[in-house]
Amino acid sequence: MSKITLFSAKKIITMDRNRPEATHVAVRDGRILAVGGADCAAPWGEAVVDESLADSVLMPGFVEGHAHMMAGGIWKYAYAGYHDRIDPEGRPAPGKTTIEEVVEGLKEHAAGLPADAPVIAWGFDPIFLPTERLNRHHLDEIAADRPVAVLFSNFHLMCVNSKALELAQYSRETNVEGVMKGADGTPNGELQEMAAMFPVMRRLGIDFRSISADREAVRAYGRVAQRAGVTTITDLFATFNPGDVDTLLEVTGAPDFPVRLVPAMGGTGAAPAEIAAQAAALRGRSTDKLRLGAVKLMTDGSIQGWTARVKWPGYVGGQPNGIWNTPPELIAELVAECQKAGVQTHIHVNGDEASEVAIDAIEAAGRSHPWAGARHVLQHCQMMGADQFRRCADLGICCNIFANHIWYFGDQHVALTIGEDRARRMDALRTALDEGVRATIHSDAPVTSLAPLFTAWAAVNRQTMSGRVLGEAQRVSVEEALHAVTLGAAYTLKMDGEVGSIETGKRADFAVLGADPFEAGAEGLKDVPVRGTVLGGEVHLL
Amino acid sequence: MSLPPLPLTVIGGYLGAGKTTLINRMLRAPGGRRIMVMVNDFGAINIDAELIEAAEGDMMSLTNGCVCCTMGADLFMALGDALDRRPRPDHLVIEASGIADPSRIAMAARAEPELAYEGIVTVVDGGEFPRLAADAQIGPQIEGQVRAADLVLVTKGGAPDLDLRLSVLSGAPVARLEEGTDATTLLLGQARDAKLPVEGRGHAAHVSWQGTGPVMDRATLEARLAARPPGLYRLKGWVRAPEGGVHEVQVVGAGVTLRHLREARETQLVGIGLRGTFDPAEADRWWRGG
Repeated sequence: MSKITLFSAKKIITMDRNRPEATHVAVRDGRILAVGGADCAAPWGEAVVDESLADSVLMPGFVEGHAHMMAGGIWKYAYAGYHDRIDPEGRPAPGKTTIEEVVEGLKEHAAGLPADAPVIAWGFDPIFLPTERLNRHHLDEIAADRPVAVLFSNFHLMCVNSKALELAQYSRETNVEGVMKGADGTPNGELQEMAAMFPVMRRLGIDFRSISADREAVRAYGRVAQRAGVTTITDLFATFNPGDVDTLLEVTGAPDFPVRLVPAMGGTGAAPAEIAAQAAALRGRSTDKLRLGAVKLMTDGSIQGWTARVKWPGYVGGQPNGIWNTPPELIAELVAECQKAGVQTHIHVNGDEASEVAIDAIEAAGRSHPWAGARHVLQHCQMMGADQFRRCADLGICCNIFANHIWYFGDQHVALTIGEDRARRMDALRTALDEGVRATIHSDAPVTSLAPLFTAWAAVNRQTMSGRVLGEAQRVSVEEALHAVTLGAAYTLKMDGEVGSIETGKRADFAVLGADPFEAGAEGLKDVPVRGTVLGGEVHLL
Repeated sequence: MSLPPLPLTVIGGYLGAGKTTLINRMLRAPGGRRIMVMVNDFGAINIDAELIEAAEGDMMSLTNGCVCCTMGADLFMALGDALDRRPRPDHLVIEASGIADPSRIAMAARAEPELAYEGIVTVVDGGEFPRLAADAQIGPQIEGQVRAADLVLVTKGGAPDLDLRLSVLSGAPVARLEEGTDATTLLLGQARDAKLPVEGRGHAAHVSWQGTGPVMDRATLEARLAARPPGLYRLKGWVRAPEGGVHEVQVVGAGVTLRHLREARETQLVGIGLRGTFDPAEADRWWRGG
């Protein structure tokens, strides 16, 4: 007979309507045996009482339906972003609110590196520092004899120092699009887009693949999740080189790896039928801590980069419509092949023209290869109107909505991208739920911080960085938001039978909190402390 | 850095335009080059692995994705791998994805000192182009691919006025790619070892030209190159400079690169033009200053 552990807690919020609150949960073989009071496990035999969570509030472990492995590995570089963050080891990474603070922070970071190592940082965003633009002279203050590179938060731009420019052989004579020059005609250090960034990245050894795939990156991702109370996390656009699945099996299989990982394979690099077959084959290698078999598809770009495909009347500044990363006819073919092979897809859609194309593709696939339980998921869904949500409800399409965007970029969307009226209905969780869509909300970490309680706060309040409320009519209740980051997300991963609520029979995955989110209420939700997680009955406190 | 830069040619064009067919044809007559092909598009026709092998070449599929796929980081990471390959290939050919802007890839060859820019070739399905260009969703990107081209190759027919339209759009030479046309030299330039047997079967899509002679200062040379005859797609070589040394000349399509080298060499230029558009006799007159 396996051991029964009985956890006592200050309060257990179950997200199960049959018993919304409890004080005790019994665990056997990594699963929830019983929920209720101190005697809930009595019929099952002797239980060992675990009091380590007695002064904590438990919730179902949070489920993050849209994040990227890079959110772990990127921390091997210094953080230069505007907002405060916490690194995977729990050390605070304070936001840098001026260029001087960026420079000072990197000086300190450089002092801790070997003398010949390049100084590399990430997360910088000039949109929040409207003073002087970061240039090589600022970064020369950090080091003159070794290269310094600061990656911007969107990863499309970087700024480097004079030494890095010299290594890439960029000079006054360089005539390359994206190598920006100052008034004196010399490169000013800013490099835009990959072609211009490539020579520097190559010489500094910046490799996005390794920070998205190696063992240490996977482990760091696990730690990032644990800090946020997340027990199931996606990696949407995963790489599978030979041996990668073995690595993932090994790392996620370790008892101290604190999260269930759900990678969705990036749907590029082969013909559609082949992609579907690869994903279907991967599914067979799944374990309880590694869920394989879904595919991620790209469609358009981003709204704040003016590369999202938007419907009439387009961008308020008159910018040309965005770009397709996958042509619409190929999107249709990819969805059809995946559906035919029984492979679930997660489809990136920022602009409303992209979401329309994706919905059309799923509808067409449904006619040629009917599959009522496909649960294809539109990801981001930022500009979708009520009409598109109704179609999603009709077709059984799930929507994972980018709630954090309201806070991070809401003001920019009003002023610069799509204007007040359409910004008000952005990331419309209220409409989605009212129209009967299975919906969740996400961070897209590392684009914004992984923190489901913050994401829930963003959906409840719809407050922007300037403090205004953007789209009051789209606010949801605390309960709805908490449902979205637990059962709502679990549904989109087809894991709602296993995780997402604390009820008998499900996996014993909990978020361990320092306060009750319902008591904290709409305003305090984001400040509820996370003390760690329980995964399959194993306690992982911070 | 003792290795010569790796020449990079980018093949752009929409799904089904004929990019893969073009590459297979090129691999059939590699002219002694070890060609590495980077495949980023996957349609009904695949790159023929046997041809790659026969040409002692190599192929990389871009199966790596990452969070930065929208910026095409995977492609650039693979570009780094190609540069690190030993022995380094003689030529790198990237087949861009059906929707990609080929100039975003080719720009890397201008940025990276270890790469040499060898042009953007956009392949157009003549029959489909008018419909695609008029498509509200993808039209601008399809036209953008043509606009980026140094050379436009038209496959599969098309209305008689199409060539003019493509030519106006791109400002680049437009050639018809008939069955059996050998476009390798146009795409890749003259093979390094000219003694090797002829490039391929079928009739060549190009005409060669050679120029020797004068010493020229930079300004005169720039003016001369600006007035180069139509259809002269590639021009490569050296022109003696009055102050000593030579100007290294590298022309692909509309792009002209001049660099002063301290080497003592005679003036010698090799040109490659489009058959039917380019007239070597006219080039002689041009080069003599006539």
